Amino acid sequence: MKKIFKRGYDYLDERLHLEDLVHFMGKKYVPVHSHSIWYYFGGVSLFFFVVQVVTGILLLFYYKAGPDLAFESIQYIMSKVQFGWLIRSIHGWAANLFILAAVIHMFSVYFEKAYRKPRELTWVTGMLMLFLAMGFGFSGYLLPWNELAFFATKVGSDIAGAVPIVGEPIKILMRGGPDVTGATLSRLFGFHVALFPGIFTVVLGIHLLLIQRQGISEPLHFGELDPKEKKTMPFFPNFILRDLLLWLVMLNLLAILAVFFPAELGHKADAFGSAPAGIKPEWYFLFMFQSLKYFPAHILFIEGEVLGILLFGAAFALWLIVPFWDRKTARGERNKLITYIGIFVIMFVIVLTILGWVA
Amino acid sequence: MKKLFFTSLTVILFFGYGILQGKTPESSDQCFVCHEQQGGAADLFKKDIHFQKGISCAGCHGGNSNSDDMETAMSKSAGFIGIPKGDVISQRCANCHAKKEMMQKYGSHLPTNQFDLLKESVHGKLSTTGKEKIVQCITCHNAHGIVSVKNPASPVYPTNVPNTCGKCHSNAKFMQTYNPSLAVDQVAKYRTSVHGMLNAKGDPRPAECSSCHGSHGIRATADTKSMVYALNIPETCSKCHSDAEYMAGYKIPTDQYAKYAKSVHGKALLEKHDVGAPACNSCHGNHGATPPGVESISKVCGSCHALNADLFSSSPHKQAFDKEKLPECETCHSNHEIVPATKAMLGVSGDAVCSKCHTETKSTKGYLVAKKMRSYIDSLDASEEMALKLINDAEQKGMEISETKFKLRDAHQAKLEARTMVHSFNEEKFKEVVVGKGLTVTTASITEAKEAVDNYFFRRYGLMVSVLIISILAFALYLYIKQIEKKQQTKNA
Repeated sequence: MKKIFKRGYDYLDERLHLEDLVHFMGKKYVPVHSHSIWYYFGGVSLFFFVVQVVTGILLLFYYKAGPDLAFESIQYIMSKVQFGWLIRSIHGWAANLFILAAVIHMFSVYFEKAYRKPRELTWVTGMLMLFLAMGFGFSGYLLPWNELAFFATKVGSDIAGAVPIVGEPIKILMRGGPDVTGATLSRLFGFHVALFPGIFTVVLGIHLLLIQRQGISEPLHFGELDPKEKKTMPFFPNFILRDLLLWLVMLNLLAILAVFFPAELGHKADAFGSAPAGIKPEWYFLFMFQSLKYFPAHILFIEGEVLGILLFGAAFALWLIVPFWDRKTARGERNKLITYIGIFVIMFVIVLTILGWVA
Repeated sequence: MKKLFFTSLTVILFFGYGILQGKTPESSDQCFVCHEQQGGAADLFKKDIHFQKGISCAGCHGGNSNSDDMETAMSKSAGFIGIPKGDVISQRCANCHAKKEMMQKYGSHLPTNQFDLLKESVHGKLSTTGKEKIVQCITCHNAHGIVSVKNPASPVYPTNVPNTCGKCHSNAKFMQTYNPSLAVDQVAKYRTSVHGMLNAKGDPRPAECSSCHGSHGIRATADTKSMVYALNIPETCSKCHSDAEYMAGYKIPTDQYAKYAKSVHGKALLEKHDVGAPACNSCHGNHGATPPGVESISKVCGSCHALNADLFSSSPHKQAFDKEKLPECETCHSNHEIVPATKAMLGVSGDAVCSKCHTETKSTKGYLVAKKMRSYIDSLDASEEMALKLINDAEQKGMEISETKFKLRDAHQAKLEARTMVHSFNEEKFKEVVVGKGLTVTTASITEAKEAVDNYFFRRYGLMVSVLIISILAFALYLYIKQIEKKQQTKNA
């Protein structure tokens, strides 16, 4: 068996010079310290993304986009296709876990200030992927064409439409017309399976390339240590194998969630029906949705909701460019303000999400 | 004595002067004095209740009735309007009849809302010419010679009402000027009804037009406030038919409304407000209201329940019922208190209506057929219940089983069809529906639901196996990592 592998490896090595790559990876080291655990969430996010791609392609074999077919095709997947229920449930759960892992990864990078020079572009590409992941979530949510998805998309696109000047064109772009119709379904399906994956793959490629090129970020205090005191582990095979171990644990978690809490389908969307009571967006949009409820109808001359959306827009923009305005960290100094802002944001998101959940 | 003498003298002098002047109490109305000589309206007016109450011609025509000078009496400055025309007519009547104090002045206790009701009525709203409303007070009450409603000479006395209304409503040419689709045979039909026949005999108590449609405030039948709007009909009929005292002389029961309200029809109409549900007039007719005879009951019920009626007519029961002179539908379903037909009516035990005629010793064939038909429907019920239970179980386990659930609706449909097919009283046809359609569906649903439940357990066992395999793999990997790291440490050391 070993002989076969070796012959295969030698065959490829002769043509692709794999030895260089192994040598390069073998020379890469991952810092070992009390917060090393957070390094794994990038890999976990990647794992969930791969699961999404695989299960998404499998679902694509049976899914039919269109207001007359979408719901029925999902019904067919859930009841008639062998393991269709499992694939759909895993797709649904992996979507949520993907965003959760990506958010944890993002906050860990933020608090470790790993975005600092020279990794500004890694941060920006990561943030872009997080936004794209939310886009995946929003566009995929409508695809089963059920009641909840229909009205959630309506509410979600209405909120986007409230943005001054660009809101209305964005809403029309999202809906493919003034209302949520079959055109919206076709459009979001296109976004979900073609546009977003295309962009995501390119951005992901850049993100991974940058990581490989620049290596794993060291915490700030590593700079003050003597090179001998710096604890590290080889990226290959140690870190990769640990990553793989975590992926197996995540696969187990996915299987358990998919079996014990399978994805539901609900009732088919009816444009003339009344919206179901207590309609809420997905959990990762909930903190924004709940915050907008607390804005008064008018603040001075501007509508409360519009102001809220603008504030969120500004906050996201500032968050995206944090490596460029956090000059202190860039100089290698500790910036406690950034930490406090991060803690505030986490508290804000958690509290508002809980309030939205119980509301 | 002295006092009596002076009093008598005063009276004699007063009347004597009057006689010498040619004046009676009524002849103080100078209009009347002149117009009496011309005859016509004044002659009629003599019999008029208003004349008798001392109301002068000027009450309606205006002018100064105290003056014997024609120019003064009929001057515009004195308010003379001549013959009131169009809507002014009703307005003139309303000048007194809409005012309580005026009516009390003349000792009348008549209601004072007639004019308001008229304005809201179909007669007071519609117009054919655009200048005046269709009906004025005088259209029904006449102009001169108006008498009390209680006076048999009044055109609105109960026995005269049909003809009064018929003056317009039986006149096709007139009616087509504002409502060509409205029938003009109401009076003719009414005359064929029990109400109409008694009315024609001079009985004022049976219902005439105004009993059901109202008098001044008549509204279109489609108007929800109309007394004959579909939802209001039972209550309108019950005003008389539930009044035991009022109906005393007619020897018919007075519990129809109470029974109807409890019936499937009554609940649909009165509780669910389903205006398509039958009211009294649906079976008895409206203008030609009459109890349907034994022969016509199935036709009356069959006008809605057409399939049931057809099946019954071609069943062996038709002949048997005719022979026994049994009312067809009513024998099993009753008349006013028609309760929802359940399977309890079918069979030979308990409340089953079949056992009224078919027993183990009498009409045995029917007894056996009824028993079998009941057993089929019982099997279908039991099978449907089991299918539902399994589907619910599968649903609660999170299984996608909506297609099976949808399919099971066909079993319910089969039960509805069976409810109709039972009227054929043909065991084979009934079996074809209940077993052929219903039980086939329930059996398939039970199989699918069982598969879904089995699948649920398969998923659990499958998960157990896969979690175990993945966990072993993870553990093996963990050991491998440890092994590698141990080697690395040894190497580094």
